Amino acid sequence: MRFFHNTHIQFMKYRWHWIAISTALNLIALGLIFFGPGFKYGVDFAGGSQLTVKFKSDPDAARLRRSLENLNLGAVTIQRFDEPERHELLIRLQSAGQEGDFSARMITALDKEFNAQTASTRLNLQGVQAVRDELVQADPDSVGGTVEDRRAHYEPMASGLLKLRKEMGILNGPADLDRVKELSSNAKRYLADNARFGEFSILAADSVGPAVGKDLRTKASYAVGFSLLGMLVYIWVRFKFQYGVGAIVALVHDTLIALGVLSLTGREIDIPTIAALLTLVGYSVNDTVIIFDRIRERIKLERGKPLIDVMNSAINQTLSRTVITSGLTELVVIALFLFGGDVINTFSFVLLFGIVVGTYSSIYIASPITLGVSNWLEKRKQSRRRR
Amino acid sequence: MHRKLMWRWVLIGVVTAAAVFFMWPPDKKIHLGLDLRGGIHLVLKVNTQDAVRAEVDDAMERVRVDLTEKGAPPASLQRLPEGNGFTFRPAPNTPAKTLDKVIDDRLGEFSLSRGVQITATLKPEVARAIRDIAVRQGLETIRNRIDQFGVAEPVIQRQGIEGDRIVVQLPGVDDPARVKDLIRATAFLEIKPVVRAAPTEESLLAAPNNQLPEDSEVVTGDIEDLEGRITGKEYYLLKKVSVVTGRDLRNARRSQDQFGQPAVSFTLNPEGATKFSAYTGAHIGDRMAIVLDNKVRSAPVIRGHISDSGIIEGNFTVQGAEDLALVLRAGALPASITYLEERTVGPSLGRDSVIRGLRAGLVGLALVVGFMLFYYKGAGINANVALILNAVLLLGAIGMFKATLTLPGIAGIILTIGMAVDSNVLIFERIREELELGKTVRNAIDLGFQRALSAIIDSNLTTIISALFLFQFGTGPIKGFAVTLAIGLTISMFTAVFVSRSIFEALLSRRAKATTLSI
Repeated sequence: MRFFHNTHIQFMKYRWHWIAISTALNLIALGLIFFGPGFKYGVDFAGGSQLTVKFKSDPDAARLRRSLENLNLGAVTIQRFDEPERHELLIRLQSAGQEGDFSARMITALDKEFNAQTASTRLNLQGVQAVRDELVQADPDSVGGTVEDRRAHYEPMASGLLKLRKEMGILNGPADLDRVKELSSNAKRYLADNARFGEFSILAADSVGPAVGKDLRTKASYAVGFSLLGMLVYIWVRFKFQYGVGAIVALVHDTLIALGVLSLTGREIDIPTIAALLTLVGYSVNDTVIIFDRIRERIKLERGKPLIDVMNSAINQTLSRTVITSGLTELVVIALFLFGGDVINTFSFVLLFGIVVGTYSSIYIASPITLGVSNWLEKRKQSRRRR
Repeated sequence: MHRKLMWRWVLIGVVTAAAVFFMWPPDKKIHLGLDLRGGIHLVLKVNTQDAVRAEVDDAMERVRVDLTEKGAPPASLQRLPEGNGFTFRPAPNTPAKTLDKVIDDRLGEFSLSRGVQITATLKPEVARAIRDIAVRQGLETIRNRIDQFGVAEPVIQRQGIEGDRIVVQLPGVDDPARVKDLIRATAFLEIKPVVRAAPTEESLLAAPNNQLPEDSEVVTGDIEDLEGRITGKEYYLLKKVSVVTGRDLRNARRSQDQFGQPAVSFTLNPEGATKFSAYTGAHIGDRMAIVLDNKVRSAPVIRGHISDSGIIEGNFTVQGAEDLALVLRAGALPASITYLEERTVGPSLGRDSVIRGLRAGLVGLALVVGFMLFYYKGAGINANVALILNAVLLLGAIGMFKATLTLPGIAGIILTIGMAVDSNVLIFERIREELELGKTVRNAIDLGFQRALSAIIDSNLTTIISALFLFQFGTGPIKGFAVTLAIGLTISMFTAVFVSRSIFEALLSRRAKATTLSI
């Protein structure tokens, strides 16, 4: 079985149509970025604090918002994280240009609002050592002896409890204590009576101050800029200048469209998104280079044939490879998008449409632009000679 | 089998064995990043201005004491708003010689402008040195604290050689709030003579003249009932000069007070002990205040001559007492700390990410393997062997280089799975083309590999270039992604070209005159 076998599609014939469509798409993307919704920056770049919180059941959003807005640290946004039945929320606090450890204050505010009962043992917020030491102090098993003796006794219980929390994400109530086989019955009773489970647990906390946010922005633009430059130079050296230009125009095209889609869908731009953009760039240039390689080979074999025809046959000859590789990578990315979870969702989302755009641009943008630059260089050379 | 072919297989075998050695068992050999195993990543800034100010305050106090002792207390004495110097106006009758002597003795590190007022600013190179020392001391102190706290494989580094930032990475920490407090605690311990104490600031200063004496300061402390609940506040007038400070400590550990409540007891080094015993011996019946981070923890009456030990009481839990003892042992921070960046990943989120990443990876891998078998039949086996070997070698390389596997890193691996087949697709399509042109199997395979090679190298190298820049400018998890991508692509060149070729060669050596090829 073979796909796209011996095709003779006139890819280059309608190049102006495709360039026009792409230009329009790019203009729309620029419009979205500069005049439309613009970018929604994540904590990485905008600065601020973000908590990923797992609740026992969906909390009252208004109450949640009020409790955090009362901190007077900045605007609060709340959105769902992952599937609804997991009751996980992403809570963002956009602090206005201040440095500081706001996530701790957010946690305290949530604690005050949702956990009416105060207790020194907070099973969903503390670590092994804290839980162990609470048991050491209360000593429900009456171990006596030194603190060290009691610690040795209670340590496995605390570890077992925290291991369960690690698996479940949140401990729901005293009933969960029965699942911890390390707990002695006295300790179980003590914790059921005295410890507080609370309404939520913290899955992740991120805080980025404005100074670091600025740093990250600079670094990200350097990374994108320098890698484009590096690839231009490499292709220039291995092929010709015009090929480098064609490839870079295609990459800028891909990046702009990707940014436009991000702007349109309102997805947040943070470090993983930048990584996805760079992957997309790497992927797209990969495709382009393989077509260029074939053009390079054909030029040697068919001297005198117009470049446009060489390009056409090169694209046709590599078409089956282009489609198979893109298709397979797309399959993998779909798996990543569907099953990878919310943490890498934006990453796979960018690649999901990025691979399609990247493949398109390798065929319809990179080669036509190279052809254009090539013709222009040729004309300039001739007019110089005439003079 | 040809000798040459045999050597190919020996090489492949050795490389595979090495990879398995470096990656097995994966949960021991593969380092997971903070985002996968849970943990805390902090970037903090040492407020070096604090250290500069402390130095200036110190010099100011010395100038005041010196001039006062010589009978000419300064008419005014004030720190500059920028904090890097101070101005003072000597009393009008101060002999020039006295003033010169004090300046010579005390202000060697300052540049002076003298007039009616004398302005002393810390020399820039001295200020720079103080800042640098503050960061280095801060780094050392934080390292001590983390070491004593007992975190496996911590990373504690200064960011940049000149910078005032410190990066702290603590994998597997399950109580981030506590660790953050532990790192940030200034833990500056002072023992100071108590002049008097009162329940309000007004009544404290009412006698003798509503004024704060030059050599004293007001510090507050909490009042607690027997069960450790805070019931009020007490104001203390303390001498500015400490009897001993945290620097004179030899050791500190958690202990108990006379009611069995957790407390922290400490012992002094010989120098501190000399000072302490001289002071307590001379002031029996007076009160002294134990001040921690500018808050009075307790103010016991000196009952007798104490030589080298003391106890800090107050509203402690076992853990609180332990943490305080720890930070006292590890030393005080020379300057306060601000958190610039904090990333905490709870262990359950990390675990969830690993499970989902692996699941997505396996599904992706299965789809690719299935397609290759379906589309390239016999040759698909080649590609799949190369692909799976690619995954094994990649994990081996991650284990060998002690690179960290992060969530974007897993995405990188999954992506290299997609891209690793690319080289094989290129080669196979080329072989098909050559077969179509009527070449023999032998010839088609040779030409297919030969002609696809330049495309494979060029396309992989351009992607590796972008991975290099990603590594250079990326942070944390992104670096991990760049590393896995670059390693993965390099390995894919080996597996797709060398391994897949070797399989073809093995097939051909068995059927030397093959006329058909399953591709």
